Amino acid sequence: MNDYTEAEVQRALAEDLGVAEQGITVVRTEPGLVLCGEVESPHRRDEIVRLVHERFPGIEIAADIGVTRAAAPTEAEELA
Amino acid sequence: MIRIAAVGDVHIDRDVLGRFRPALEELPEHADVLLLAGDLTRHGTEAEAKCVATEFGGLGVPVIAVLGNHDHHCDEVPGVLAALGDAGITVLEGDSTVVRVDGVRLGVAGVKGFGGGFAGRCASEFGEPEMKAFVRTTGAVAERLGAALRDLDCDVRVALTHYSPVPDTLAGEPLEIYPFLGSYLLGQAIDSAPTALAVHGHAHHGSERGRTPGGVRVRNVAHPVIKQAYSVFNLAADNVSSSAASGI
Repeated sequence: MNDYTEAEVQRALAEDLGVAEQGITVVRTEPGLVLCGEVESPHRRDEIVRLVHERFPGIEIAADIGVTRAAAPTEAEELA
Repeated sequence: MIRIAAVGDVHIDRDVLGRFRPALEELPEHADVLLLAGDLTRHGTEAEAKCVATEFGGLGVPVIAVLGNHDHHCDEVPGVLAALGDAGITVLEGDSTVVRVDGVRLGVAGVKGFGGGFAGRCASEFGEPEMKAFVRTTGAVAERLGAALRDLDCDVRVALTHYSPVPDTLAGEPLEIYPFLGSYLLGQAIDSAPTALAVHGHAHHGSERGRTPGGVRVRNVAHPVIKQAYSVFNLAADNVSSSAASGI
């Protein structure tokens, strides 16, 4: 994988309407790439992996993508 | 004291419906108002905006929003605004709204904002028409934000944007993309009025806290940054103007 492929992966993640993610970091590793970041649902994480597999079939992919927690805050910030 | 809840970059679509709702149901216990700092939808369709309306509507506190770049992607802004408006969500773009909290008037001025970068590393209105249009866009948006803040008749001013007004809250993002994440012109607009707090989103890898050159506190409330349904900021009495504090 070279710089051009890395750029294509990054753009595909942002520009494909089924994904539309600008917050995923693409990290090049020796066998392929690691996708890192956070998304809003497990479905979106699956879609990202599916898209990259489909568009870049020769590249080995590891995904380290979390789903952002959405619990109520446990404390407020006091702004004096 | 005024209690302000805020979150941005929630990127709602059908697959997210209901995720925020349990935390939102208890929001009125913790906050007097909810600010949404743009990128409410995944790519700006009216259908997604209806999901936002379902998730963030009917909370029992005023909900005030600006749109983000994602909310513009499918060129359905009128439909997005209509869906949000139908749910009672106030969407600001170069204007403001005032909410009364226990006799104190909280004024919120908002714009989506735009990019251009920060002092020493910013784009200039020079060269090709496309470049000049880019910088002029940010300049015009910032002017509207500044005017809206200065014109507010209220006791506490809050600025709401999607793009960042300072580089501080971008820490964690690659330096190379800072010009696409915000502009110092927004910070200058915020500093042109006695603003108590500025809230923004957009920078998913950024950090929570910063300050404008004029000393206004800035908070990045992008959902991946705060990692909770919303943050709450308690603005203490000394942020409230003396006329409001004395009941005049």
